[in-house]
Order: sequence, then structure tokens, then C-alpha cells
Amino acid sequence: MASLIEVRDLTKKYGSVVALDRVAFAVEPGRIVGLVGPNGAGKTSVMRALLGLAPYEGHVRVLGHEPLHGRATLMREASFIADVAVLPSWLRVDQAIEFVAGVHPHFRRERARALLGKSQIKLTHRIRELSKGMKTQVHLALTMAIDAKLLVLDEPTLGLDLLARRSFYDALVNDYMDDTRTILITTHQVEEVENLLTDVLFIDRGRIVLDSSMEAIARRFFAVAVNADQLQAARALHPFHERRALAKTVLYFENADAGALAAFGAVHTPSVADLFVAKLSGGGA
Amino acid sequence: MNTYKWLIRRELWENRAIWIVPAAIGVLLVLAALFGRVEVDAPGAGAPGHGAGALLLFAFGAIFLLVMSAYSAWYLLDSLYAERKDRSILFWKSMPVSDAMTVLSKLATALIVIPLVYFAAADLSTLIIAFIVSLRASSWFGVSLWSPGIWLQLQALWIYLIVTSAIWFLPVAAWLMLVSAWAKRALMLWSILPPLGLVWAERMFFGTNEIGHQLWERLVTGYPEAAFHDFPGALVVAAQTATAAPVDVWKLLAPVDFAASPATWIGAALGAALVAAAIKLRARGIEL
Repeated sequence: MASLIEVRDLTKKYGSVVALDRVAFAVEPGRIVGLVGPNGAGKTSVMRALLGLAPYEGHVRVLGHEPLHGRATLMREASFIADVAVLPSWLRVDQAIEFVAGVHPHFRRERARALLGKSQIKLTHRIRELSKGMKTQVHLALTMAIDAKLLVLDEPTLGLDLLARRSFYDALVNDYMDDTRTILITTHQVEEVENLLTDVLFIDRGRIVLDSSMEAIARRFFAVAVNADQLQAARALHPFHERRALAKTVLYFENADAGALAAFGAVHTPSVADLFVAKLSGGGA
Repeated sequence: MNTYKWLIRRELWENRAIWIVPAAIGVLLVLAALFGRVEVDAPGAGAPGHGAGALLLFAFGAIFLLVMSAYSAWYLLDSLYAERKDRSILFWKSMPVSDAMTVLSKLATALIVIPLVYFAAADLSTLIIAFIVSLRASSWFGVSLWSPGIWLQLQALWIYLIVTSAIWFLPVAAWLMLVSAWAKRALMLWSILPPLGLVWAERMFFGTNEIGHQLWERLVTGYPEAAFHDFPGALVVAAQTATAAPVDVWKLLAPVDFAASPATWIGAALGAALVAAAIKLRARGIEL
């Protein structure tokens, strides 16, 4: 089966600034992919290209559609939440449900109502009367009531408090995700999504620096906390990054012999957050 | 078609002024008719003229039209700007609705829906006012308000005006939408200065004033003059001369002249091009 998302040579320039430099990746059906990068790395530019929100150079296909010209058709099968609090302030919650039901062929009104029924949000509320967290809840309920093959979330929890962020992802995992769905999430708060991802894409300064499934990460990357007296010996095995942690130094290895590493201490798989820091800050030491 | 219905409904939700303003005008006029002084001098001795009644009814219509023009211009200038300003465009674009549909629904709201709402409000309030006035005013004037011919003509006039105006003002409406889709700030200035610049450039380089003339025709005249014979002059004359014969609105309409005028279709073509540009701009997502 063809990839759900297919990106090759994706380039985006703002004047003389190159925001994306020949980005390439693919997303397969049923995956939850995190597009992770520091601010200004190009995450939003990738999203805009995928969703048909902005022009780009290169080859992009999402569910077989060229996004910029086929956005309206694409949005029958894909949905997205870009940024928080973008629902118009004058809209009433029941109007929002009726509107989406009116224009979207795969929207299930009852499901949206049921999702909101659990909250304190009333159908007669206007968006402007809701807190930021509640606005996000409404948007998520509308989006989750759409039977979409692909859901794209661009910094969906930016500026929300911890409780709202947690309930956002809980709802996503418990009430939405199943094997017919594919989710692409961009975030710079990788700790928050790391447990639900099946794949990660690291992006830095407009380039993809890591494209891997979580299983492959476990096979490929190792971290070992090494005592000072063994540091020289361990460094001989070419760690790509090191980080001081109290008396020990954590060394990060790629494609190393786990058996050999075990001589220096307990070998573990680095967290995505640690890997992100390690990958993006380069050589270290 | 169903999608357009929802898009229009969405415009009415967002812009409640579309019906609140004409309703308020109607209420004000009715109140004025109820409590104001009604003092109509019979125009000369002799037979009462239906013209006087017609003129009064048309004058009420004109009040609605005047307010509507101002509101519609504001509506169009805001139409594609508001969604960029509050970033709600990121929600609207997540719906399976093309940019063309969105832009066309807003254009249709300005050129057809808003005029129909004002038409309904004007009709209803005029009917109530005519009833009040005919009770309070002198009998000859009251009678002059209740000619079925006048009422039928009034309906025809509105419909005719809406249709011809939609074509006549298309370039103006489309230009306002284009500014709304493109400008990052100072929308008022952007809507006014480039056309003025064109007028100036034409005078400068060609020594002619065709653009200026067309702008004057569309903006200052305020209605498609080419679509009428001697309007509203004929009404005023009819009222003043107190002719016994009712004004014949049918004779004022000039659909053939309007359709035969190149200015009509050059303007409409320019309008279509500007609408296409506004659609393109919305699709490419101009950031604020």
C-alpha cells in the first residue's frame, strides 16, 4: 500500500531564508508520528505544506492528493487542529456542531454531542465565553467526531495548563485512536507525547535529522551512565553525545554493540526527549 | 448547494447586523410614523396625485438602500480579513470547503442576501407605515398610498434593483474583497488609494478620465443609473405635478439599455477577475 503521506524535496523559502531544505519522509497508515523540533525548525512550514495552507516547492502527496490545490477534497478524509483557540469567538457551540455537520460528509453529530456532554461546556455557550482549555475541548470534540483517516495536530496544547494538556491527550488516545487512524503531531514538548508515538521525525533548521520508529530507536540507540574512571575507555566506543549527571556521565551511542557497552554500566534506551537533545546538540563533550 | 446554504447561514451567524440594522431602521420609521407630525400639503388644488404616495414609499426604500450600501461596503472589506485577524481561518480551512466556495458565499451574501433582507425589512415597515399614515393623514394622501399598482411596482423595483446592482457593483464588491484578502492593515486606505492612483495615472498619461467616470457612476450615483430611464426624476415630477395618473415604474426600467451597455459587462468582467484573484489569495494563505 502506498504511504499515507509522501514528501520529497520539500523546500520552503521566505525571501532569502530557507525554512525547509529538501525535506523527505513518509508516513504509513496506522502510525502516530511525532514531528519534533525546536522553535523555528520548520515544523509549522511542513504542516502548512501537508495541509494545503501555503505554497511550497517539491513533491507532497497526502492521501493521494496534492494539498494546495486539492485541500477541499483532502479535508474530507483528513482533519487538523493547527494552533490553539482558533475557533471564531462569535460561534456558538451548537452552531459549530451544526455547521460541521452541514459541510462535512464524515461528521457524526451525536458523537460530538456525546464528547461534549462529559464536559461543563453548554451547547448555548459562545466560544468567547469559554476558557482556553474549554475552547480546545470543543475543537477536539468537533475534530474527533470526524471519521478521518489522518489527523494532524500542530502544537495543539500550546499555552494550555497541565490538566488541560493531559486530558487532551487522554481523550485522543482513549476515544479516538484505533488502527484505522493515523496521527501526525508537531510539538516542541516531546515529553508530553513520547508515550503515544509509534514513530518520530526530528527536524532541525529545515532538515530531517532523524526518521525512525520507536522500536528501531530501541535497537539503534543506547545510553549508559559511566563512572569517571571508565570515561576514557567508554569514549573510545564513539558516543555521539554525552551529558553530565551528578558523579556520572551519560554517554549516547548509535549502532553500538550493547554487549560491549554493558561493561560500563546499565544500558538503556534513551527517552525521546534525551535523544532529541543529544541529536540536536551534536558532538557534545 | 447544501454547502452554500451552510456558508450563508454562517455569515448570518457571524454578522448579525445584517438583519439587526434593517430591523432597527424599520422600527424607527414606524415609531416616527406613529408619533411624528404628519403634515402633507395637498400639492395644489385638484385631484390628488398617486405620485405623492409613491414618492413617500420610494423615499423610505431609499433610506434602507443608503444604510445598506454603507453596511455592505464594510461587510465586504471585513469579509476575508476578520478570519485572518482572529486566525479562525485555520478552523474554516480544516473543513472540506474550497476557497472558491467560501469567497463566493461571502460575495453572494453581500450582493444578494443582504439586499433581500433589507428588501423584506423595507417592505414590511413600509406596509405598516402606510397603514399608520393613512389613518392619521388626510384622506387623499392615505388613498394615494394604497394603490395596488404602486405596491406591485415597489416589489418589481426592488427585485430589479437587486439584480442590476449585483452586476453593476460587482467590480466594487470584488475589489473590496481583494483588499480584504490581501491587506495586513489599513484596509480603508488600501481600498481607496489604488483606484485613486489609477484615476490619476490615466489623467496623467492618457489625458482621459474613463476610470474616474466609471467610479463616479458606480460610487456617487449609488445605483445603476444606466438601468433606468430618468429615475428618480420622473417620480419627483409626478409628485409635484399631482398628476392623477399613477407613476408607471415599468416605464422607468431599462433592462435592454443596461444589458447593451459595454460599461456593464466590462465592469462585470473586471469584477470576475478580481474575485478570482481574491480566491487565489485566500488559497495561498496571506498571513497577518
